[in-house]
Amino acid sequence: MIDEKLISEVILAALASGGDFAEVFIEDTKQTNIKMVDGRVEDGVSGRDFGIGIRIFQKHQGIYAYTNDPGRSNLLQVAADAASALAGQRLIDTVKLDRTTIDSNHKILQLPNGTAAAKKVDVMRRAHGAAKGYSDQISQVTIVYGDVQQDVLIANSTGLLVEDQRVRTRLAISSVASKNGEKQSGFYGPGRHMGFEMYEKLDIEHYAQEASRIAVTMVNADYAPSGKLPVIINNEFGGVIFHEACGHSLEATSVAKGTSVFSNRLGEQIASPLVSAVDDGTIPNAWGSQNIDDEGRATQRNVLIENGVLKGFLIDSLNARRMGMEPTGSSRRQSYRYAPTSRMSNTFILNGESTPEEIIAATDYGLFARYMGGGSVNPATGEFNFAVNEGYLIRNGKIDKPVRGATLIGRGADILRKIDMVGNNLDTGQGMCGSLSGSIPADVGQPMLRVSEITVGGRKEAE
Amino acid sequence: MTIKEFQDAVFSAGKRAGFSAMELYVSQSRSFNVKIFQKEVDNYSLANVLGVGFRGEFSGKMGYAYTEILDEDSVQLLVQQAKGNAQLIDGDDEVEIFGGSPDYPTVEAFNHDFANVPVEQKITAARALEESAFAADARVTSVNYALFADGEEEVHMANTRGLQRSFRRNSGACFVMVVVKAGDKVKTGSSYTIGNRWELFEPTKLAQEAVEEAISMLDADSVASKSYPIIFRNDAAGDLLKTFSGVFSADNVQKGLSRLDGKLGESVAAAHVTLLDDPLLQDGAASAPFDGEGVATYTKPVINGGILKTFLHNLKTAKKGGVSSTGNAYKSSFKAPITVAPSNFFVQPGSQSLDELMEQMQDGIVITDLQGLHSGANAVSGDFSLAAAGYRVEKGQIVGSVDQITVAGNFFDVLRDIEAVGSDLKFGMGGHGGNVGCPSLWIKSLAVAGK
Repeated sequence: MIDEKLISEVILAALASGGDFAEVFIEDTKQTNIKMVDGRVEDGVSGRDFGIGIRIFQKHQGIYAYTNDPGRSNLLQVAADAASALAGQRLIDTVKLDRTTIDSNHKILQLPNGTAAAKKVDVMRRAHGAAKGYSDQISQVTIVYGDVQQDVLIANSTGLLVEDQRVRTRLAISSVASKNGEKQSGFYGPGRHMGFEMYEKLDIEHYAQEASRIAVTMVNADYAPSGKLPVIINNEFGGVIFHEACGHSLEATSVAKGTSVFSNRLGEQIASPLVSAVDDGTIPNAWGSQNIDDEGRATQRNVLIENGVLKGFLIDSLNARRMGMEPTGSSRRQSYRYAPTSRMSNTFILNGESTPEEIIAATDYGLFARYMGGGSVNPATGEFNFAVNEGYLIRNGKIDKPVRGATLIGRGADILRKIDMVGNNLDTGQGMCGSLSGSIPADVGQPMLRVSEITVGGRKEAE
Repeated sequence: MTIKEFQDAVFSAGKRAGFSAMELYVSQSRSFNVKIFQKEVDNYSLANVLGVGFRGEFSGKMGYAYTEILDEDSVQLLVQQAKGNAQLIDGDDEVEIFGGSPDYPTVEAFNHDFANVPVEQKITAARALEESAFAADARVTSVNYALFADGEEEVHMANTRGLQRSFRRNSGACFVMVVVKAGDKVKTGSSYTIGNRWELFEPTKLAQEAVEEAISMLDADSVASKSYPIIFRNDAAGDLLKTFSGVFSADNVQKGLSRLDGKLGESVAAAHVTLLDDPLLQDGAASAPFDGEGVATYTKPVINGGILKTFLHNLKTAKKGGVSSTGNAYKSSFKAPITVAPSNFFVQPGSQSLDELMEQMQDGIVITDLQGLHSGANAVSGDFSLAAAGYRVEKGQIVGSVDQITVAGNFFDVLRDIEAVGSDLKFGMGGHGGNVGCPSLWIKSLAVAGK
């Protein structure tokens, strides 16, 4: 990409006025997105993202500059402009880069960039056929195919120089069901840190049928009740509750500044003793995995909560300074256009003892959130909200009729304590997580679990 | 390679590859932002970037590709990938590279004085946000965002049918978010200013607003679950309108994704509701003389006195619908294909202040904050169920604050159930898909879930 000598010069230029650390991040990304509506390809866009991010630290202060002109004079100028934001004497006057090679933990068998577009469209047609064929009530199916190959080089003033390749593949399937003018939608979006071989490993028709099943179920559903109810949250994408309600508050971004509800609480009981949770960026080929984080540090398995006790945070190197703790390989960014910061990778609650059947049978009346939608949280207050894409009433220990339009709200800290049953069917689902350093792929996950009480927002009064 | 050399190289390579018409969309931008935390510059960033989007007609289909590097490899990449992408398309929509409108309006969106504001002055403004927030109330425990950001972008469109147009804008933003604490209650409040005139930025006032809002929520409690008369305060009303703004897009209508299909000329909102799309609005964040396809823009009511007057069109949807483009072709960035989006899109303000609306409503809830808009709202059905916070109103007066509730309803019903429109038009923080604004709206009644 850019030769090592110039990289060293840029790092040194960035350290001209008192910076105690400087980093260069170079990204060359090729991506393709194809959209199919009702079985017809509507548009395809492909392209190349290329740019360089230069970051400087001086104690707790972070300076970031980016550009996409790789010319020597421009890079040195951008480094100098960034350095001029600091005042001080040069502390570091030599940089000796020492290349580290990575043995990839995420084998890619078929680079999407070298895969014929027609094969990509074939996969989309398969998904469309399965989704459309599910029911006469399916009025529209939209399939979005996406693949990304991101090549990065990260070098810094400690001498680190490392390159990594991230290849990700995803198919987003949206079905709309119509009945008497009413429309409801269902979604499934399987993705992996994998090449085109993903389509041989995953049953795409299954996901397409699921998207349609959700839409059809919901268009035939009555409105959800509102009020405080016991809520059973299903496994897989149900883990979005933990991601939103707890995971974001464990990111150093908010913890380091004392603005998280979990700041200064390591070792305290913050959740029901049934709850253990981890963030693990090392899982081979998982959606949120990568070999190294976007500061060049190896990803790792971070225990966040063990039997309800707070064990760890997700920490990037800048916030590590503020916290006096070690970074955890959790620094991520959407692209060179963002300075990296602490983010989740694959975050999930571990298996408990109960079977899903036992959890449902033990619930007299409540809501079963079979498939969750997205949500958001305010890390300072822990207040969260998220949508239930597919919900059912539970009556007398049995799944009763489907209900639509439910939203769950609450505070993360309260919900964690109110988890009173944890299932044994851990699975994960894929999402895009948006925060300070952009939108990044992240897995959420959990086994089925029950919360003794959550405020459910619906359009009908509770029974 | 200069942009002109690159353009010539791409157009001649494209011609050889068989494109019948081609267009380059070049975006050059600079941006700056500074964030203060505990009196130190916590974050400081600078950027200068260029991006080039290419599209071309190949056998009647439109192919897209983009790059961020101007070199010989990219010339080949753009042409080959765009051709490949055009060949994938099996929709039968007619597409067109546009040669230009007869006349273009004048829109002034670049302020030279603002572009010359020294960096020190911007850092001082960000510092003032934090200082003023702490000074405003002893219960402020932290100011987690005190930032100033600005940027400029120049877009240049050129195509082989003769279109050649440029447009330049600059804009800045001040944003503050505070955390307040009393006992074990923690609340946050935030406020912002967006614009390109330095005198708009009043950090002290902004910080005080954020603190007041946060403090006012410290005594918040949930309310009993039932239906209440609701006022969406201007910012919350704007968030709701933005979430559902896609229902006015002809693209969604033609795809069966809007319940407004077939309702042109019919009443879809209360009689005192007028919804405007105004790309020529003075100081509008989305003001521009031409749209993403180079079509001249103009101002039009989408709803006039409750009657649905038009959908928003680009060239493709207009051709399909047998009408003219409304100048609403939208390209969210140089990378993106053309879609449809509003420009400055807002409900025309009425004459009553928020206080007067509360006085009229007598008893109900004023919603000041809606959360979960990307997940708790179904853009197709119009159904929403959103986490909300605000104030309880009794006999026309605020008597306490409310949190941990959801408000649920249907957007299309809300349009019809607007009892009155306030005078306090406010635009949102922007982002993709149009610059949406709204005054406060008093709604007959909506379902609230709480205790």
